[in-house]
Amino acid sequence: MIERILGLLPARKGAAPIVPERSVAGRTLLLLITIMSFLSAVTLGGVVLVQKSAIAWSADVGREVTIQIRPVEGEVMDSNLRTAVSLAQSTAGVASARALTIEESQQLLEPWLGAGLDLTAIEIPRLVVVQLADPAEADIDGLERNLAAVKGASLDTHAAWRQQLNTMAGTIVVSGLLVLILIGAATVLAIVFATRGAMATNREIVDVLHYIGASNRFIAGEFQGRFLSIGLQGGLLGTIAAMLFFTLIGTAAGNMLSSEAGAQVGILFGRFALGVDGIVGILAVVPVIAALTAITSRVTVRRFLNETS
Amino acid sequence: MIEFSNVGLRYGNGPEILRDLTFSVEPGSFHFLTGPSGAGKTSLLRLLLLSLKPSRGRVTMFGEDVNNLSHDRLLQMRRHIGIVFQEFRLLDHLTTFENVALPLRVLGQPESEYRPNVTELLEWVGLGERMNALPSLLSGGEKQRAAIARAVIARPKILLADEPTGNVDPDLSSRLVHLFAELNRTLGMTIILATHELPLLDKFNYPRMLLSKGELVIHD
Repeated sequence: MIERILGLLPARKGAAPIVPERSVAGRTLLLLITIMSFLSAVTLGGVVLVQKSAIAWSADVGREVTIQIRPVEGEVMDSNLRTAVSLAQSTAGVASARALTIEESQQLLEPWLGAGLDLTAIEIPRLVVVQLADPAEADIDGLERNLAAVKGASLDTHAAWRQQLNTMAGTIVVSGLLVLILIGAATVLAIVFATRGAMATNREIVDVLHYIGASNRFIAGEFQGRFLSIGLQGGLLGTIAAMLFFTLIGTAAGNMLSSEAGAQVGILFGRFALGVDGIVGILAVVPVIAALTAITSRVTVRRFLNETS
Repeated sequence: MIEFSNVGLRYGNGPEILRDLTFSVEPGSFHFLTGPSGAGKTSLLRLLLLSLKPSRGRVTMFGEDVNNLSHDRLLQMRRHIGIVFQEFRLLDHLTTFENVALPLRVLGQPESEYRPNVTELLEWVGLGERMNALPSLLSGGEKQRAAIARAVIARPKILLADEPTGNVDPDLSSRLVHLFAELNRTLGMTIILATHELPLLDKFNYPRMLLSKGELVIHD
């Protein structure tokens, strides 16, 4: 089965390879590179998902500000609400402003106070949701100044919350990149050991090549070709596995999102859709891993030959 | 073509394996290199193959002092020297054709260019039918003929052979030496063939270099 799959993968064309293609060490390295590629692709995909969700989330929240009006003795809430809405609507860059009804406000409190409570007897703070046409151009400072005239009114731009979100997303992205670097370093080390092992195993071939006048460059090229082939195969297998992983996760999440709880998860973490840029990023793992394998093996072989000749 | 002048060789700080070797080899000549086991035949061949440099004395090949050669020049020069080993040293995963073509691949020739030459040579050494066989399927004699074909495919000026008849029966030994003689006669290759089989030395009347305890005691 594995042989069949490998047979479909890209192989070196032309004359027979001087360094044997099928060996136990080669298969082990292929498996290792496949795992490393899978981990790299999953990490990269995870980073892309988090970043995309954070950007989308931050953008959604950034397009909206909330005016909160607390009940103040001697003040008429409905009048203050109308003033706040009017002030918001007359502010530059605001698309719309709407006061939440008492029912909507009660719904917002339900998760904390429970359903079925009659809150008409209690005066609860009321909210005005302000949609911004263009967050960059909206005169938020002007609105805040004007709202000072409304007693009990305060403006929440969600800035602190957005900053927290961005910090969290940034931390995840940086952590993901660090993991990628560590995976890369582990891959390089594994290739170095595998190459030195292959050189030792194929010492006879190296000697024969030297005796017939092959340069170190030629020998390094042959080993590089062999490892480039393994790198391409491993990178491709790992990436395909990662794509399958994301497809499965996406399908599972899709099924979960049919429930109400799943919908909340969907709002928080998105739909596990990588998008074109995410897929391109994951596909880029193949040439990167292959190049890393080829370059590392070439440098290792050259060093080995210089040490031994 | 080859000149040795007071050449000595030692490995590391060990004793001298070869001592005070002084001789010359003319282009197109055929020499037997003989002597008991441990006399230094293989070490001398390694000096001639340029895979070792002398510890003392001077070795001149193709008019150049090998001590003063750069790595690249050494490599270029080695391409004018073919080598045949007792244990064949064919690459097991390559076919007879691919083994023989190896020196030409190393020189960067495309297969379309070298295929007719390799095929012709394999037919000449009697391996035309065994071209696609792996070494594991060849007999000892066939392996040695393939090794000889690999050594001469790039038309080296010097052909070295280290006990090439050591793993074959006497009849085949004689036929292999005939093959070397034919290469010497038809292509003008300088041949140095190491052997300790005295009947071969008696059968073929070529000059002998007799090594004993690292010294050249006869060079006729």
